[in-house]
Amino acid sequence: MPIVAYRLLVLGLTTLAVVAPLSLVIYQSFLTAPFFDPSAKAGLLAYSFVLADSDFWQAFWTTIAIAGGMAIIAVPLGALLAFLMVRTDVPGRQYLEPLILIPIFVSAVVIAFGYVVAIGPVGILSTMAKDILGFVPWNLYSLLALIVIAGLTHVPHVYLYSAAALRGLSTDLEEAARVSGANPFRVALNVSLPMILPAILFAGVLVFFLGFELFGLPLVLGDPQDVLVLSTYLYKLTNKLGVPSYQLMAVVVVAIIAVTAPLVFMQRLLLRQAQRYVSVRGKGLKTQPLRLHGWRWIAFGAIAFWLFVTVVVPLSGITLRSFVVTWGEGVKLRDVLTLDHYRELTDYPNVIRGIINTLGIGVIGGAVSVACYTAIALAVHRWNSGWTRLVDYLVMVPRAMPGLVAGLALLWVFLFVPFLSPLKSTMFSIWLAYSIVWLAYGMRLVSGTLLQVAPELEEAARTAGADDLRTKRDVTVPLIKYGMLASWLLIFLIFVREYSTGIYLLGPGTEVIGSLLVSLWGTGAVDLVSALSVVNVVMIGVGLAVAVRLGVRLHG
Amino acid sequence: MAELVVKDVALRLGDNEILKGVSLTVPAGEVVALLGPSGSGKTTLLRAIAGLETPHAGSIAIGNTLFFDAARGVELPAEERGLGLVFQSYALWPHRTVFDNVAYGLKLRGVPAAETKARVEKTLSQIGLGHLAARFPHQLSGGQQQRVAIARALVYEPPVILLDEPLSNLDAKLREEARAWLRTLIVTLGLSAIHVTHDQVEAMAIADRIVLLDAGIIAQEGPPTALYNEPVTLFSAEFMGSNNRLEGKLLESSGGRATIELFGERLIGASRIRGSAGAKATGIIRIERVRCASGPGPNRVKMQLKTSMYLGERWELVFARDTLTIRAYASAPLEPGEHFIEFPAEALWLF
Repeated sequence: MPIVAYRLLVLGLTTLAVVAPLSLVIYQSFLTAPFFDPSAKAGLLAYSFVLADSDFWQAFWTTIAIAGGMAIIAVPLGALLAFLMVRTDVPGRQYLEPLILIPIFVSAVVIAFGYVVAIGPVGILSTMAKDILGFVPWNLYSLLALIVIAGLTHVPHVYLYSAAALRGLSTDLEEAARVSGANPFRVALNVSLPMILPAILFAGVLVFFLGFELFGLPLVLGDPQDVLVLSTYLYKLTNKLGVPSYQLMAVVVVAIIAVTAPLVFMQRLLLRQAQRYVSVRGKGLKTQPLRLHGWRWIAFGAIAFWLFVTVVVPLSGITLRSFVVTWGEGVKLRDVLTLDHYRELTDYPNVIRGIINTLGIGVIGGAVSVACYTAIALAVHRWNSGWTRLVDYLVMVPRAMPGLVAGLALLWVFLFVPFLSPLKSTMFSIWLAYSIVWLAYGMRLVSGTLLQVAPELEEAARTAGADDLRTKRDVTVPLIKYGMLASWLLIFLIFVREYSTGIYLLGPGTEVIGSLLVSLWGTGAVDLVSALSVVNVVMIGVGLAVAVRLGVRLHG
Repeated sequence: MAELVVKDVALRLGDNEILKGVSLTVPAGEVVALLGPSGSGKTTLLRAIAGLETPHAGSIAIGNTLFFDAARGVELPAEERGLGLVFQSYALWPHRTVFDNVAYGLKLRGVPAAETKARVEKTLSQIGLGHLAARFPHQLSGGQQQRVAIARALVYEPPVILLDEPLSNLDAKLREEARAWLRTLIVTLGLSAIHVTHDQVEAMAIADRIVLLDAGIIAQEGPPTALYNEPVTLFSAEFMGSNNRLEGKLLESSGGRATIELFGERLIGASRIRGSAGAKATGIIRIERVRCASGPGPNRVKMQLKTSMYLGERWELVFARDTLTIRAYASAPLEPGEHFIEFPAEALWLF
């Protein structure tokens, strides 16, 4: 097959996979009824209905408030954390690094369940506090608590980008300031901080954007108080009218994308800005970390406290809950310990299928996805053409669709296209949805590895007589093998964690742990949810341990 | 074997005009050095011949095979040109052994396994690395890697072998040995080669003919002796060798000789001048041709000795007068003070 045919094929399939769901949503939003309804006509009825709904606007402004609040909390904490970890002598830095990243890899619904069972009104920590203080000093079910938790769990995102920028900063620049007479704190303030400001700004926009994608936390924590955000509003809309109201859902989706798409574009611009600064690289010499003296342990304590609140509290809460019959005031731990919840998991065939499917989508699906991402990346690799820009933008499109939305759009595609319908209730639909949702992430992983292949290695094969495709097969792919393996591991972690994308596609045969957790939580099966959450966390923990052991960089 | 003909090749990278119409012929069995400062387009020209860059004008052909012709829209992809290319970084595939690196070109040509083995072994023993076939590139020294890169480009017997600064990654001592080894190898095997380098000594040592590039055009071409001894432009005069530059006023110019005025003295030299009397003129003379004389005479100027430096096999002397600085070699140090410096008429070129 000539390279041109390969490129056209890959480009065509990618365009189809990315554009079809989006255009179907937009098309649906301009219909007066679901697209399968013969009475559906073109019109703006759905728009006027949604835009007149006060709940929609309530949800919209709540989302803005949460996203903004998250950024206000996560950006300074993340930047400070990065500075402490990269530039100072905080004790135990090498052990803290993987722990800091845990909130990125654990499913948000699991964290939310964890908070409910740990510090909810009758949570494990809440009842302890009540025993000691006589009252519970916090209220989990409030907008403020939701913002604080969302903010704290997104500190690692800011940390990642700030730390990368700090590491990329030429140490010469800081040493020059030191020699000119600036003390370490002035150096941090006058040199380091301004240099990484673009990266911090990017992280801020990213967190704000992630606020619009938030689903698990507001679903679990906002529900008892009827706090709705756009994603949960969309989710509730499914049941609101009793009949499928696709046209209304489509309008909400369009509204979400109208906000997220510009944010994605803005992130792209900011990232380019940030990378321009990072390109001044130092000689790779290890500089003396900044000595904190007495502040060392205070800084350590602060990091430990943050880890306790965002990782230990929810994860230990959900774990403990999964081993007890019940929990409430006056309950003695020794009396209620049990393994029954794990035994009960096996009573539900859909749960068993869910666990197997989750492993399958992580291991097999992840491998196939990485293969697809590689195929796309190779198609544009060393292609001197304006078409590569098109691919850049194509890859960005799904980024603007939160998982819940993408899952819904995919469901419609499967319903809409006759020959695809039989695949709707197979794991293929889940795999396709996951692959599309994580297209941008996966492409960044694979392209990152491809960038490390020196062009001469490929040119040498060309002059030796290998054509373009043969060169890719014989030289490029063997050289990025380890990078692909690392990408597979990271995609595995992401796919096992994923919960929102599978919700609309959930049905017999397409169960995955994430979407099962959401639907089981709705039925109030706390025992089952806790046990299944722990199973999910263990799977991710094993994956993370393997990744750390193999020295895989945990961020793209 | 056939000759390589490059005609009026022009090439742009972005808005940058890299090659501005370069023509070049490499007959079979000749070693040509593409010489020039960085940014002169020598590597780009080599890559255009290899098929790794696309010119926007001109043509490239070898014998009856047309590689590239902008006017006719012909462009043969790199893999169908059958040339051998040695990269500056060697570009050995790190995931293949030395044997597999060298054998790859033969494998692509569908050569049977037994014959491949024989030919790879023969090539490896020609470059003196027969015992290292099973090693991986990272287990070799820089000099060995360079030889493997050459073997990889030679094994399928290309009509022309292209070498892109193949010696620049070696340290100074090794580079001189490798230079002699490479010249011997090329001559023994009777290869046609194009050798890109920014090092004039390397170019003169290795090549039968030097093509000197300046900002995308050919400044001068010819055998090494011609480039060194008969520069036709100020650029080639200054690029080759180590030089003194003097600025003076043109007095007269006729019949290949010209006279300029410097500090009131008349200096006669070989003329490359196009200007008329009274204009400014530039004189170039190689450091090793400047002589220190005992007294006044023709083509001599009085100058002050500023510094004497011991270089081991000789002394380097630095003279000055006003803003003019002249460097010269001597076998013994001179007394500080004023001396007469002679610029022999046959060694002084005036532009």
